[in-house]
Formats: sequence, structure tokens, C-alpha cells
Amino acid sequence: MSATKSKRPEVNPAKRGILASIQAFLTSVTFTIMLLSCIAIGSVLGTIVKQGADVEEYLSLYPEGTYRIIRLLGLDDVYHSPWFLALLILFAINLVACTLKRFFSVLKGRGRTELPDERALSAMTMSFRVEGSMSHETITGILPRGYTHVYRGEDGVVCEKGNLSRYGALMIHASIMLILAGGFIGLITGYKGSMVLGQGETKNLITISGGNPKERPLGFALKCKDFRISFYPGGAPKDYVSTIEVIDRGATVLEKQIRVNDPLCYKGINVYQASYQKVPSFSFNIDGENVTLREKDTYNKDGFMMMVVRFETSVHDFGPGVMVAYLDQGEPKTTWFLRNVERLRQKTIRGITLRLDDIKEDLYTGLEISRDPGVWIVWAGFALMLLGLFVNFFMYHRRIYARKTSKGFIVAGVATRNKEAFGEEFERLKEKAYGIPS
Amino acid sequence: MAFHHKILGIVTLLYLILFLIHVIYVAARKERLVALIWIGLYVTLGLHTLGLAMRWAESYRLDIGHVPLSNFYESLIFYAWCVNLIVVLMKKRLAYPAITGLACLIALFLMGYASISPAVDRNIQPLVPALQSNWLHIHVLTCFIAYAAFVVSFVCGVLHFFEWKGVVPPEKAIEEINYKSVVVGFPMLTAGIFTGAVWAHYAWGAYWSWDPKETWSLITWIVYALFLHARIVKGWKGTRMAILSIIGFSSVIFTYFGVNFILSGLHSYAT
Repeated sequence: MSATKSKRPEVNPAKRGILASIQAFLTSVTFTIMLLSCIAIGSVLGTIVKQGADVEEYLSLYPEGTYRIIRLLGLDDVYHSPWFLALLILFAINLVACTLKRFFSVLKGRGRTELPDERALSAMTMSFRVEGSMSHETITGILPRGYTHVYRGEDGVVCEKGNLSRYGALMIHASIMLILAGGFIGLITGYKGSMVLGQGETKNLITISGGNPKERPLGFALKCKDFRISFYPGGAPKDYVSTIEVIDRGATVLEKQIRVNDPLCYKGINVYQASYQKVPSFSFNIDGENVTLREKDTYNKDGFMMMVVRFETSVHDFGPGVMVAYLDQGEPKTTWFLRNVERLRQKTIRGITLRLDDIKEDLYTGLEISRDPGVWIVWAGFALMLLGLFVNFFMYHRRIYARKTSKGFIVAGVATRNKEAFGEEFERLKEKAYGIPS
Repeated sequence: MAFHHKILGIVTLLYLILFLIHVIYVAARKERLVALIWIGLYVTLGLHTLGLAMRWAESYRLDIGHVPLSNFYESLIFYAWCVNLIVVLMKKRLAYPAITGLACLIALFLMGYASISPAVDRNIQPLVPALQSNWLHIHVLTCFIAYAAFVVSFVCGVLHFFEWKGVVPPEKAIEEINYKSVVVGFPMLTAGIFTGAVWAHYAWGAYWSWDPKETWSLITWIVYALFLHARIVKGWKGTRMAILSIIGFSSVIFTYFGVNFILSGLHSYAT
């Protein structure tokens, strides 16, 4: 042992002192409090500064100088910024260190189950003596429910209750680590995207939202067989229901009606009913030909070119209308067609008769698609924390000792916490013990 | 006017009367008034429960049946109910007129604000699709029990700065009540956040979206976690703990009111 020790390079005692004190600081509760305060302040900033908006929006909200500072500090996306993640990682490290320290001290305390001597027992704040011929064993018969023996011998007994409560803090801290771990797993391996489907439409790509939206293959396809919205009599939305078919390798493997609060799950991927869109389509009659156009669609035939530019559900209270742009001798011009105004429904442009037959609004379902393999670890963390909180705050560890004396036996009790309630329990035990006829 | 509105009106009046009885007690110090206060608290809790139940029944009569926990008005009257419930449940510890009196004042404020403010819609509204979930009950219940427990902690924090023999409990008792109320509130807040997260997973597709309400509930959670560590690990006492409980409650208030009024987000049902 000593030989291996001497081989190590000499460390300057003062330097080692600094290292040790840094280590002590990193594992201290003071550091935890500082980190938690910083995380709280960072979170506050994230709710004050607008998150994840685009440049134009920021510049309309803040002066340019302020925006540069916001970008520099990552305040436009606090919860994913490097410094916030660093705080979380430091917190996790600190938590592990604190928890391990605590765990070892709990383990050390666990082994001691010996029975103190008579003098030590009578010195405890709660103790009483019973005189007579009764054995100390009678006390075990009148203990409240839940006590277990940790020592039983000729000279006396040691019973305890609520031993689990000593692990409460440990459970809570371990649960935070589980939640953080689950969160990181989700962050690294999970994704979240969206898909807009018309009725009868099938897609296998989802759009990952973010600064620059990307498309990503889902691995299977989704088909919207049906989408319906129902309303309350007052007009508020009551239910959004999409009938979704999952098509994997050409075969329909699953069909489910999904609604808000009731997603579909396939191969660990969840499909949620998130929103809906109304997309208008316009039926024109162009010189006897029926043409259906959507917004931004162009029509081009025999040198006549037009484009649907804009749709309004209500144009000056005259009902729905659509703005059409066309070229008149090389010059761009626009005109409105209004469905409910006969005079503005039909127009003749460059000798071609245009008539707006109808405006229809097609419903599209907005699906949100996410995969998060860490979610079950997070759930486990939640369960462990609730259990830990219960054990820590609503259970407490106490011990009752009974030892044989020359005239009878002595009983003493100690509780780590909640001494008030234990005092009452102990008083009741005392009354019971005195009530037993000897 | 609907029946439940009438009952809740009477309940509001009862909170006012209860507060006035406290004032009389402080002036006259008749011990019999204390017994009257507790009877009053039980009766008010009963009527308040009846009012909520009637509103619940009424929503079924309107064919939009749902638990009355779905908008800002309903959350305000439920919050007042939770404050009364916590006071009754912690009766053994809270037998001090200063604490029950201030709790009545806060319940009166919540009820009064709910029934008078023009910003609050008092009608029963149908449940939007996002709220149609069984998680609604347990999520709102746990959150508001926590908020109510933190009211008691806040009252203790404020009372720390006052000395009034026979009215304000002794320093040691205040500290103990403050700690015990956080011991009730903190696990409840934790459960509230967790049920919210599980619900969000099923409704929005992510258990945590850093929505302002979520973020502020986490901030509140951190403040009370610091409170517990300061007391249990660091052994803090007195003014520092009182200030922590006041900071904690400010955070609760911001999570509940501030987020709705100042910041926008996914939790926008409440206004």
C-alpha cells in the first residue's frame, strides 16, 4: 500500500487544499442552491423574451442592439441554449455527488442495531421503567402496528418502524436523475414533427419544425380516411376526429379514430390530433371549361394566363371573394370575383368569359407526430419521486428499545423526525404497558 | 340567476362575516367566538361544496356536462374552496385567529374577484377538445390543493413580521406551521406538475414544452425545494424562511394569474 502511494507524484499540500475545497464546493448544498437559482432565473428569462421566433419578429419587438445581445446569449431559445444545458448537466453532477455522499452515510447508520445499556436508555428523552416479574418480551405484544424486530436477545429487544423513510431523500434525488436522463434521451433520440393531410390523402414524410423546416421519412405512411369537426350549439368546437390508417410496406396494419387527448401509437411513434386547416378551392368556368384552382395556382391556356392571388372569407361584408391576377398586354392587373354578388361573379377579360361557380373549403387535418423513447424513464422518475416524497415527509423512522433490568425492564424510544407525533405514540405505549396486570 | 350563483353569493357573504368575526375576536377576545369561527368555517365549506356541486349538475342540464374546473371563474371559486379545505384539515395546527382570519380574507378576495371582476366570464362554457380528459380532475385538484397550502405558508411568512400577543401565534409555532404547510403543498405541486406532464403527453404530444405556465410552475417548485433544503439541510430559521415563503407565494401568484394575463401560451383556457 505505502509503496504504491509513494510512487504518486508529490502534490503541493496548499494546491491539494484548493482542489479538495473545489471538490467540496462542487458537492455542496450551497452549490446546489446556486445552480437551482440560476436555472430558475434562466427559466424566467425564457418566459420574458419571446422564444423561437424569426428575425423580423424580434426586430419589430426589440432594438437591433438588444436583439444582438439576445442572439449572443441564446435568449431566443433559452431552454436549448448551451449555457442552460450546461447548468442542467452541472446540476445533475452535483445531485449525483450529493446523493452518493448521503447514501453512504445512510448505509453506515443502517448497520447499528445493538441494544444500548441501561444507563444510556434511561438518559433518552423518552423512557419508562416497568417493575415486576414481566419479561421485556411483553412490550413486543403491545407495540403499535408496523414495528419490526431488528434485534431480539436474552437481554432485550430493538424494534423499529418507518425504516424506509431514511431512503426518502435518496429516492427523490434518484428520481430527478431519472427524469433528467429520460429528458436527455428524448432530446437526443426523439423528434417532433407535423403532417397536414387532406381527406383520402396518404403521406410518409413529416415536417420537422424549427428555424428551417426539414422533411423526414416516417418509416411508414399515414392515410386520412375521414376528418370531421363537430360543434356545440353555441359554435365552440366540440370534437376533432380523424380516421387514420397506418400503411406499412403496402399493407394497412392499423386503423384508429384519433382525437385530441386520444392519440394513435405505432412502433413507438405517436400520432396526435393537433389542429385543422381550411383550404379553399375555386371552381371557375373559363370559356365553357370547368377549372378548379387553389390559392397561388396558375391557369395558362392559349396565351391567356391568370393566377389566384388571394382569398377572403368576407370582402366588405359581401361574402367570400377571390382576387385574380392576369396579364393585360404585358401589364399585370388584378380583379375581385365575389361569389354572392351576381354582377361581380362573371367578368370578361380580353374577350374571355370568366365565371366563378363556387368556392369550397376543404378540411385538412393537422397531425402532430412525435417519437420519444425516454418517456417511460420519465414516468418511472415521476412515480419514484411521488413515492419518495411520501416516504420522506409522511413517514418517519423510530426505534423502541426494551431491556431487562434487575427489577423488571426499561423501555426507551427515539425518532429521527416528527418527535411530537412519536411522543404521543410513546405515551400510549406507556399507558398500555402500565395497564398490563403483572 | 342560476341557483349555484345564489349559493356561491351566500358563501362569499359568509367569508366576509367570518372575517368580521375574527376582527371582533381581536377586539373583544371572547373565547366563545373561536368556536363560532370553526362552526362557521365548516358550514361555509359545506355550502361552498354544495355550490360547486350545483354548478356541476347545472352543466349536465345544459348538456355540456363537465366538472366545474374549466375556466378562470371556476378555478377562482375552486381555489377559495381549497383554502377553506386546507384550513379545516389542518385545524389542529391552525387554531390561531390570525391564520384563519387571513385565510378567510384571501378566500373572500378570491370569491369577490370571481363574482365582481368584469374580466371574468361567470357562465358555464362547454369544454374545448383539449380539456376533455380525465386528467383534468386530478391535475387541477392537486395544483389547487398545493396553491391553498402555500396560502397558509404565505400567511405564516407575513405574520413572522408582526408581534401581537394572543392574536399572532408565537414565533416557533409560526415556523412549524409554515414548514408543515409546505410539506403538504410541495408534494401536491409535484403531483400537479406530473399529472400535467402526463396529460400534455397525451394531448399535445410532449410532456414538457417550456410553455410559460409549465416553466413558472417549475420555478415555483424550485423555490419551495430551496425552502425545504434551507430548513432541513441548512437549518435556516426566522426572517430568512419567512422571506422564502413570501417569494414562493409570489411565484405561485405569478404562475396562476400573471402567466394568464401577461404571457401567452398553451394554458390560455383560464382567461
